[in-house]
Amino acid sequence: MTEHTSPDDRLNELTAALPREVAPPPDLWPAIRAELAPRSARTIQWTPRWRLAAAGLLVAASSSILTLFAVRAREHTPAAVAVTPRDTAPVAEERLPAHLVVAERAYARSIDALWRTLDERRDSLAPSTVATVERSLRIADSAIAEARSALEHDPANRVLEDLLVSNYERKIDLLRRATELAPRT
Amino acid sequence: MARALSLVRHEASVDAPRLALGDDGLVERARRGDVDAFEQLYRLHAGRVYALCLRLAADPVVARELTQDTFVKAWEALPRFRADASLTTWLHRIAVNALLERRRGEKRRSARVSLADDEDAAEMIVGVVAAPDVATAIDLERAVGALPPGVRRAFVLHDVEGYTHEEIAAMTGLAAGTLRAQLHRARQLLMRALSL
Repeated sequence: MTEHTSPDDRLNELTAALPREVAPPPDLWPAIRAELAPRSARTIQWTPRWRLAAAGLLVAASSSILTLFAVRAREHTPAAVAVTPRDTAPVAEERLPAHLVVAERAYARSIDALWRTLDERRDSLAPSTVATVERSLRIADSAIAEARSALEHDPANRVLEDLLVSNYERKIDLLRRATELAPRT
Repeated sequence: MARALSLVRHEASVDAPRLALGDDGLVERARRGDVDAFEQLYRLHAGRVYALCLRLAADPVVARELTQDTFVKAWEALPRFRADASLTTWLHRIAVNALLERRRGEKRRSARVSLADDEDAAEMIVGVVAAPDVATAIDLERAVGALPPGVRRAFVLHDVEGYTHEEIAAMTGLAAGTLRAQLHRARQLLMRALSL
């Protein structure tokens, strides 16, 4: 740049120097991936119903065990604060770390999108399959609620945080597999 | 906004993925439902799409959501994508549409942006830049982020991304006169903010 560069030229120089690419958040692709509906019937993976049910039960069992361990670990810490009765209401957003609030919103969007897809294809599923899927999802929701509730009492607990995130991932996986059970109409 | 700009500054040093010289094979595979191919397209183009969304929205949370919307919609619309078009331009158009849809869904004040909205914009953004003699790219990012949304959109698409007036009109539905006025206003505000 010379001293005689006009303001317009200087603005052009600065604009041209701006980076054209900015790395997106590293966890963005998994969130996008969760929203991608199968392209066609050829890509459907026919997952047996029992595997969905088993996955749901696994979510519940592993979540409960891990939550128990995480809570107990906190209780046995000398400096731990006395445990207050559990509140069954969802954790208020403002009580969660900011990054978790952002992650929860992304998960909610993914889950909504998958639910919409599943609702559209519900009629093509056998009633018994729908019942199995719904039961598995209730179990997954219960695991999420359990982890959230525990996190409410111990917002800094990284184990509980990881558990909540993994429960969301599992729910999304269940939903995705359920949508893949139903061919596109 | 400061958070958004610090993100730009921080991430700008990250080695960004190189743009593909030919996406045709990946596009064709993704069209057929190959998610792995689509992921490769994402890896190739996400940096530019996210940069655009970050500058258009001036908010990293919104930029993330817009980027997510863009790629999900791209996946859904990929069977209708014409192979002779530029994938980058096509993705940018989806991102701009996602932004416009979002604005329409917001309250009237933020949804209806016109030149009349930015009467005080010059005063607003002059205060954003720390010192008049540090007219760096970071200051420019900060000043762009402080522009009124409609003016910012015009500047980012035209001056940063290099789209022509016609292309921007096709993306945004703006009349040519409005676009010219917004671009002129953007440059005035930025030069004043940067003390150029």
